[in-house]
Amino acid sequence: MMSLVCEEATHLRADEPRHENSVRVLVPQTLVQTQRILLRWARDPTTALLALVLPICFLVTLNVVLGQQISQITGHSALYGTVPMNALAAAIHGSATGAIGLIGERTDGLLSRLWVLPVHRASGALSRIIAEVVRIVVTTLVILGVGVLLGFRFERGVLASLAWLVVPVIFGLAWASLITTVALYSAKTFLLEAVTLVHVLAVVFSTGFLPVDQYPRWIQPVVAHQPMSYAIETMRGLSVGGPVQSPMIATLLWAIGIAAACAMPMVFGYRRASMR
Amino acid sequence: MTAATPARSRPSTFAQWWVLTVRFIIPTLRNGELALTIASSVVFTAGLYIPLSHVMGTATKGVSSSYAQYIMPLIALQAVTFAAMSTAFRAATDSLQGLNRRFRSMPMAPLTPVAARISAAVYRCSVALAVALICGHVIGFRFYRGAEYITGFCVLVIVVGAVMSFGADLVGTGSRNPEAMTPLFILPPLIFGLLSVGVQPVRQFPHWIQPIVRNQPISQFVDAMRVLGGDTTPAAGAVTWSVMMPTLAWLSGLAVVLVPVSAIVLSKRQ
Repeated sequence: MMSLVCEEATHLRADEPRHENSVRVLVPQTLVQTQRILLRWARDPTTALLALVLPICFLVTLNVVLGQQISQITGHSALYGTVPMNALAAAIHGSATGAIGLIGERTDGLLSRLWVLPVHRASGALSRIIAEVVRIVVTTLVILGVGVLLGFRFERGVLASLAWLVVPVIFGLAWASLITTVALYSAKTFLLEAVTLVHVLAVVFSTGFLPVDQYPRWIQPVVAHQPMSYAIETMRGLSVGGPVQSPMIATLLWAIGIAAACAMPMVFGYRRASMR
Repeated sequence: MTAATPARSRPSTFAQWWVLTVRFIIPTLRNGELALTIASSVVFTAGLYIPLSHVMGTATKGVSSSYAQYIMPLIALQAVTFAAMSTAFRAATDSLQGLNRRFRSMPMAPLTPVAARISAAVYRCSVALAVALICGHVIGFRFYRGAEYITGFCVLVIVVGAVMSFGADLVGTGSRNPEAMTPLFILPPLIFGLLSVGVQPVRQFPHWIQPIVRNQPISQFVDAMRVLGGDTTPAAGAVTWSVMMPTLAWLSGLAVVLVPVSAIVLSKRQ
C-alpha cells in the first residue's frame, strides 16, 4: 500500500505530518462523513417520512387485525410482539435504503473519489455504521412512541428499557452488513425485491406476528429459531417480562454469525466498488 | 416538408413500444428478476396461508369450504401487486437518469415509455399469477365454475396489476427517488391486504373500522374474485352485477384519474 502523507488543517498540530491511517485522523474524518450521510437523509424527507409512517401504519393494522386474538391467546397485549417486530422491520428497510444510496455513490464515482484522497481507509465504512446506528435508534424511538400511545409499557425498569433499545441496533447492524454485501454484488432492482421478500417472510414467520403455537407444527422450529423471533423475544422479555438471557444469547449469536460471514466479502466488495 | 429534404423515416409507435418493452423484459431473464417474481408468489402463498390458516380458519368456516379457498384471491392480488410495484422503482430510475427527458426529445408519443413499462409489468404480473395459481392448487384452491369464469378471474387480476403498475409508474416518475420506493414496495399492499375481507370476514374486524374494510378497493376485488372462483358451499354467492359493479367502478375510476395525471407529470420539465 502506498503511504500517503497528509498535512491538513483539521488537526491541532498542523506542523506535524500524519499518516493517513493514523488513529488520530480516524475520529474527525469519520465524524465528517457520518454527518454527510445523516444530512443526506435529513434532506430527503420523502424517504424519511415513508420509512417512518409506513411501519407505524403497519403496526396499527396488525393491532386491528390480529391484536384481539393474540391477547386472548397469550394473556398480554399483542403490542409487546408487534412493536419490536415493526422496529426490526424498519431497521431492515433502513439498511436497504442505505445500501441503495451506497450503490448510487459507487455509480456516481464518489467512492473512488474518496479512495484517492488521503482519508483514513476505515472512516468510510465506519461512518456508514455509525449513521446506520443513528437511523435505527431514531426509527425505533418513533415506533416505540406510537406503541406507547397504543398502550405499550416498560415494566422492567430503566436498564431493561435501554437494553430494549439496543436490540434493534445489534439486529439492524447485522442485517445492514448482509444487505450491503448483497448490494455490492448484485443489481439494484434485484436487491430491492429480494430484501422485500425476505422481509415479508421474516415478519409473517416470526413470534411477533403470531404466538409460535399458532403455526402448523412442522414450521414451528423455523419460526422459533429465526433471528427476528429471537430479537422479538428478547425485547418482549425486556419490556413485559419473561426469559431474556437465552433469546439474548441467540440474538447475539445470529448477529455475530451474519456479520462474520459477511465481513470479508463486504470489505472486498467495498474496496472493489471504491477502486472502479 | 420540401422535396429537398429527404423524407424522414417515422418509426411506428408500435415498433417503439415493442423495443422499449423488450428492453425491460430481456434483462429479467438474465439478472434473476424472473426467479424473484416466481419466488414472490411462493412467498405470498406460504406467508399468508401457513400462519393464518389456523388463526383465521374458525372465523371463515361456513363462509368458505377451506381457508385456501378463502385466502386465494388475496394471495393472487398480493403477488400481482408486488410485480406491479417494482415498476415504481424502474420509473424512478429512468426518470433520475434523464432517460425520460431523452425520450421526450425524440420523435415518439409521450405515453410510449409508460406503455412499455406497463407492458413489462403485465408480463411480470402474468408470471406471478400463473405461479400463484399453481401454489394455490397445491394448498387446495380450486375453480368451481366454467372456463369463462376462470378467464374472468385471471383477466381481472391482470387488469388490477396493470392499473396498479400505472399508478406505481406515476409515483416513481414523479418522485424521481428510487431510494424512497423501498418501503412503498411492500407495506401499503400488506396493510390494504390485511385490512380487507381477503383475510377474514368483515364482522371479525373491530366495529369502527368495518366500513373502511368493507368498501376499500382490495375488499371489492377480493369479493369479485371469490364469486368468479366459486366454491362448494352455498355461501359462495353468484356472479351478479351488484358484486362486480364496485370492482369495475374502482378500476375505471382509477384509470380515469391516472391517465390525465400521468400525462401532466410526464410533460413536466424535469
